[in-house]
Amino acid sequence: MMSGQLILFDPQDTSMAAPSPCISVCEMDARSGLCDGCQRTISEIVGWGSAGDAARRTIWRAINQRRDALFDD
Amino acid sequence: MQVFERGWLSSNNILFGGEQTALVDSGYLTHAPQTLALVQHALQGRPLDLLVNTHLHSDHCGGNALLQQHYDCRTMIPASEADKVRDWDEDALSFIATGQQCARFGFDATLAPDQPLRLGGMDWQALGAPGHDPHSLILYCAAERILISADALWENGFGVIFPELDGESGFGEAHATLELIATLDVRLVIPGHGAPFADVGKALATAFSRLDYLAADPVRNAQNAIKVLLKFLLLERQQLALDKVAILLGRMPVVRTSNQRFLQWPMDELAEWAMAQLVRVGAAEVRGAWLVNQG
Repeated sequence: MMSGQLILFDPQDTSMAAPSPCISVCEMDARSGLCDGCQRTISEIVGWGSAGDAARRTIWRAINQRRDALFDD
Repeated sequence: MQVFERGWLSSNNILFGGEQTALVDSGYLTHAPQTLALVQHALQGRPLDLLVNTHLHSDHCGGNALLQQHYDCRTMIPASEADKVRDWDEDALSFIATGQQCARFGFDATLAPDQPLRLGGMDWQALGAPGHDPHSLILYCAAERILISADALWENGFGVIFPELDGESGFGEAHATLELIATLDVRLVIPGHGAPFADVGKALATAFSRLDYLAADPVRNAQNAIKVLLKFLLLERQQLALDKVAILLGRMPVVRTSNQRFLQWPMDELAEWAMAQLVRVGAAEVRGAWLVNQG
């Protein structure tokens, strides 16, 4: 599935709470173990609801690193 | 209790541990494998014992069939939907009207307004919450002051008032449902979509004001419904060919009915208008010949 626009967030931006990265694609890639839409692991998606802001920013750092690796031109 | 905060295509899923494991709402069909993976991960090898649906819209029960295949879970649905599910009466269920997908599932028990149930070792009560859907239930735990509000109340609004689109009553019921919620002592609301929130008073004020606005002119409710249904389709497919949007909208009986009853616009004009509305609020973007999902 070609996906629409990703949610982008800089975890160092403290002007807002860390947003949910979900764009409703919600399909896991069997090889990478990441959601095709938000580049989170199952464990990170499960934990999102109970994670505090700091933990969410840590997840965002991981997402951004994965995206750099995945979408590198 | 764990909340799997999903997006706007799948509803949130609420998982309970304790003496019997339970899940409230199962998300949309196309997300069912991820829903199952989330449940499996969180249960760490324990079985799912009970599945409960607040209401039977495709984004709240689309994972039922896969969960039932995988687990020998009891399934509880709103009592007033029992006959339709037993016979899988697709005309009476909402899936055909909205052009949305749902795999057939069964049920073992029903839940009616004011009926108690145990979830996660806590006592909950089902409350009737018509408006968005005539059969919807919300779940309230008085001891913990938690409300599972389904699509009756979100932090910034509520689900489309569907009955009015068919010329049935829904605004009055939605108002009464908000009034009922206002009588409850609540410290945490877990909505059907969006993040859980604490300020129920603020959410109720927003919802009452929005409901007044929609009820004052039912054309607004119809226009809102058409925008929401297009956004749902866009979330499902992530992108739509611009020249197919009118055809896709026209395939949804609820869009045709709403248009006939409230708007009477040619379908291509309706599609142009709906697309422009989504683009205007940043919910979609036009790229070449495609309408692409945003946010």
